[in-house]
Amino acid sequence: MRRLEMILSRLVWFVPTLAGLVVIVFLISNVIPTDPVRVALGENATLAQVEAMRVKLGYDKPLAVQLARHFRDVLSGNLGTSIYSQRPISEDLAKRLPATLELTLVAIALSIALGIPLGVVSALKRNSLLDHAVRVVSVSGLAIAAFWLAMQLQFLFAMKLGAAPLNSRIDGFGPEPITGLFIVDSLLSWDMESLGSALSHIALPALTLALPAAATIVRFTRAGVLEVINSNYVLYQRAMGMPPGLVVWKYVLRNALISTVTQIGLIFGVLLTNAVVIETVFDWPGLGTFAVQSILQSDHKAIIGFTIWTGALIVIFNLLVDIAHSIIDPRGTR
Amino acid sequence: MKRTVFALSVILAMAPSMVWAQGKYVHANNSGYDNLDPHAIFDVGRAASRINFYDGLYRWVDNPPKLIPWLAESHKSSADGKSWTFNLRKGVKFHDGSEMTAADVIYSIERMLATKKGASSLFMPIIDPGTTKAPDKYTVVFALKESSAIFLATVPEILVVNAKLVKQNEKDGDWGAAWLAKNVASTGSYKLKRYDPAIGFVGERFKEHFAGWGPKAFDEIEFRTVLETNTRVQGLMKGDFHGTDGYLPYDQILRLKQAKNVQIFEQESMRVFYFSIHNDRPPLNDVHFRRALAYAFDYNGFINDILKGAVARNPGPNPNNLWGAPKDLQGFTYDLDKAKAELAQVKQPLRPITIGTLAGFSETEQAATLLQNAASKIGVEVKIESAPWQVVQSRMQDRDKNYDMVPLWKSTYYVDPNNWVGELYGSRYYGTRNYSYNKDDELDKWINDALAINDEEKRRDLYEKAARKVTEQAMGIFVYNTKWYGPYAANVGGIRFCPIGSGQDMRWAYFK
Repeated sequence: MRRLEMILSRLVWFVPTLAGLVVIVFLISNVIPTDPVRVALGENATLAQVEAMRVKLGYDKPLAVQLARHFRDVLSGNLGTSIYSQRPISEDLAKRLPATLELTLVAIALSIALGIPLGVVSALKRNSLLDHAVRVVSVSGLAIAAFWLAMQLQFLFAMKLGAAPLNSRIDGFGPEPITGLFIVDSLLSWDMESLGSALSHIALPALTLALPAAATIVRFTRAGVLEVINSNYVLYQRAMGMPPGLVVWKYVLRNALISTVTQIGLIFGVLLTNAVVIETVFDWPGLGTFAVQSILQSDHKAIIGFTIWTGALIVIFNLLVDIAHSIIDPRGTR
Repeated sequence: MKRTVFALSVILAMAPSMVWAQGKYVHANNSGYDNLDPHAIFDVGRAASRINFYDGLYRWVDNPPKLIPWLAESHKSSADGKSWTFNLRKGVKFHDGSEMTAADVIYSIERMLATKKGASSLFMPIIDPGTTKAPDKYTVVFALKESSAIFLATVPEILVVNAKLVKQNEKDGDWGAAWLAKNVASTGSYKLKRYDPAIGFVGERFKEHFAGWGPKAFDEIEFRTVLETNTRVQGLMKGDFHGTDGYLPYDQILRLKQAKNVQIFEQESMRVFYFSIHNDRPPLNDVHFRRALAYAFDYNGFINDILKGAVARNPGPNPNNLWGAPKDLQGFTYDLDKAKAELAQVKQPLRPITIGTLAGFSETEQAATLLQNAASKIGVEVKIESAPWQVVQSRMQDRDKNYDMVPLWKSTYYVDPNNWVGELYGSRYYGTRNYSYNKDDELDKWINDALAINDEEKRRDLYEKAARKVTEQAMGIFVYNTKWYGPYAANVGGIRFCPIGSGQDMRWAYFK
């Protein structure tokens, strides 16, 4: 019951959170000394062209009126039309969402697959050479700038070793979309060529995103395991002669991962942020490149649309993490 | 034995298609193709979709640029330069098989004037809606409001769409804008095969194109958006792409020159790098102050040391390689003593000068820093503000919000001196292409007279006088004319560079 209350409470907060986001981004967009109409029409537009477009799009109205109109449109499910591409913003976002989701989910899976085992081993072998090595690597993972890491991985794996494609999401334009997730679609249509291409293309950008995230998971897992491993109930299980592997898996890990799971929810937001840079470097046609282009083109409505969608994604993912948290540690929801 | 015979027969059966299949050309572009409407886009970054999918009545090719008849076979103009008659080529097919006629040309110009986007700004001052007529199926007559010597130079920008097809897809009086943003309705060299705004487009050769094809023309062209310079360069070196943009930073060109599988085509373009100066704001409205700044820029240091001699000094507003640029124009040289002497004549109080630079375009930042350094030696404080081009551009178009100075390039939209000295310093272009906000009646008269007459010798004289005055009065600081370093895979041939389109007109190119 408490779990249901928690979910409902999160959903209620969802609306003001997104509304706040819209207001903040709207105000920031209007603080930037750019005229979106001039940008959209280009340097050759006459003053008459600019004024006509300004009136047509409602940019001649006071800011408060513009914001109110935008809220009205958003509430009716209309994010507006991109001033630059002339297409509905929802259409552009929907087309690009699967690319970002696929990249982010693979990166999260990769960071968990790397981070949790390394964190556990590092804690169990505390102060060993292995532990020191893992800590150095994890600190480096947090310190290295994502765009620099991306370029180094491109140079090493794509240019020097020829082991991975340099950029893009797939060879050519990809298979006909079913879900839009190329890995899933190629499996559903049993297209092994596309699957191979999709997997090889996602390897480097996902690795670039995953390494800093894995470093965070390593550190939290290690700290969690160290805290739990000396607790009385673990000592008791050991004294009872339970095999060490079983103790770690059944008693240590479950309790040690509580903070890690919370951290994974936060990591999702960080990954979406980093995706803006990584997608640009790897020419990945997702929400990140859409955001970069929208910002450069001062396409205010597109920027707000991107913010609403990514904000919603983060809120939903955090909700899922909270549910997972309540399953792993039901104390808070009883 | 049977297997060998079978294999040979398969190879022989495939032979004809193998001989004629010329493969796909893949280009990495630094801008997104988020809209394919030829009347909505007019920027250099998205030129490929306009040039390869659409045709105009005339077409610019090669360098120096030549204007050749394209959808039109010929033209004539009236003595007063107001009436222009174009005789259309007969039998030109749209991609859907229907014939292109005068009605399509009229629909196209009316659509441009109505939607008020892209290249329409070139025509709105001189053509009224409803005035373009078709005496017959293959003749179009443009009735201009005033004589325009540049009209013919701009005619290639009237890209012809399939009127019937677009009309079928109009919604709520939008002139088919939503539909044409992601579809192609044209006679152009390539048909749209695949389009994804997030990725780019694939064009398939239109075999029935009226201009015919060379034996080795590409079957398909793919233009992909690759925003990151390093990725474009590495992709070309790796062989993922066959070409990329020709205005890369010079250090990247040097890097590409080392790659054996890459060739660099080198041409002097028509893209003048200069400091735009706000001439209508104190103390920049004082010619002595502007001259002081012009003497304070180290031209040789910038061109030879920073840019490694990769560009050509261009002392005036018009490109050196175009008529209308005085051959004996010396321009300014770096001389701090002369700069101080000019500064001493400035009567108004000095104040810090703000230079807006284009974020991501290191040359603009380097030029501003060089000027900042020298200006400090003559007692002028310079502040540098960096912002994306879109921010800088929208501020420049506003007289009050404009920076004091901006280093930038003036690209070729049509090949005529008016594209440079006319648009940059003629008051008729305030707020559009004139960012200097200068007001000089004599200069305006020369520019307006040059637009009203068709005698090229007289026009040359007027533009040379205008270029001299602009330079001597330091209305801008003119630095260099860009060289185009077109990076292509070593097996690509037939690239015909033209300053308009920057070598992206792919119908002439082939794999060697």
